Amino acid sequence: MDDDYYSLNSILAENHKLSCSFTLDVEGLGYLEGGTENNIHQHSKVELPFWLAQTLSLNEFTTFPLPPPYSNRVKAALNASAQSVKLSNLVGGNGWWYRWGRRIADVLDDEPQADLLNTLLKAFINRLPALQDLSAHHASADHTLPESSTSTTETFRDGMEGDERELFAIGQESGKMTRNWYDSNGGKKGGR
Amino acid sequence: MALPKHLQNGLTPDELTFLAEEETIDIVPLFSMTRVRLLSGIYGPFTPPSSAKVPLWLALSLKRKRKCRIVPPEWLSIDRVQNVLKEERENAESFCSLPRRFIETSKVLLDVAQDDLMQPSLLRSLLKDLREVRQAKIRIGLQSEGVMRGSYLQVTNLTPLELSELKPFLVKAMGIMQSLEPRREDDEDEEEGQ
Repeated sequence: MDDDYYSLNSILAENHKLSCSFTLDVEGLGYLEGGTENNIHQHSKVELPFWLAQTLSLNEFTTFPLPPPYSNRVKAALNASAQSVKLSNLVGGNGWWYRWGRRIADVLDDEPQADLLNTLLKAFINRLPALQDLSAHHASADHTLPESSTSTTETFRDGMEGDERELFAIGQESGKMTRNWYDSNGGKKGGR
Repeated sequence: MALPKHLQNGLTPDELTFLAEEETIDIVPLFSMTRVRLLSGIYGPFTPPSSAKVPLWLALSLKRKRKCRIVPPEWLSIDRVQNVLKEERENAESFCSLPRRFIETSKVLLDVAQDDLMQPSLLRSLLKDLREVRQAKIRIGLQSEGVMRGSYLQVTNLTPLELSELKPFLVKAMGIMQSLEPRREDDEDEEEGQ
């Protein structure tokens, strides 16, 4: 995954707000809460963009709970059947679930961090075989006819998140290129 | 230089075929000529009916102009291919060792020099079966223990064509897996040191 500063994917992936609670009173920044207060009080909850939340949390001015896309409910669903969880609409925008999770994990302490990363890794590994099979199938199948696929493959295909979609496109592309080469005739059969 | 997206990941099959055409092959020329010096080397003399060794690209070009007959390489006989196919099917764990440019050369010969090969349609279907058996093994290997841990994939005896088909997907998938690994103490210290 590219964490390049200029990578558009990583910029889009971080473009979410986190709901944080301040650990101390802050004067003069009351407008962040959206109300008419002048100051922020301790333990008040504010929605902050990630870049702000990251710096404040690393310096221990705010804390935040694990956001909903990574809640226990999602974890349990992944444990049950990783391939039928729709990761694409858990996180808004284009759905970069893995990347967003990684950025959050960078801000967490050791134990929740290892836990979250483990969840992400296990989910990816469990979805990988289905992804491979799907991309191999799509590389060779004829797509002029509408497909009647089984329900699990359909839900999986709809539920793929950003990185998985890119991986799928790569697999399909290279498979298609090889297949076209196989089926082509060389094209230069002059003089026969 | 920025390549278009579909060229960025590796060599395309057409490029690999181009590279495969460097290999030498035997031909029986249908014309007479003394030794000729080309940019890549000296070939000839061409005196029918004795055979001459030329690079594959030259053989194909002459064949298209109907100036030679190509002698199929010894690994492209029906028996050899059937043996290889049988071995592949029996050996579920690993791949058979094939000549490096097996797939590209056989395809190009089947396209251009069909009449010089014995039973080309049988050969074509055998090669197709061989390819499918190897593809199935690759797919199983992709879901093996090593890949799932994100450490390695055993690719002994895969030809360059199969590897270049596999590479983009595998590299990206392993990249994602590696970035999701739990952070370790020494990694963090290294990063701070940079």
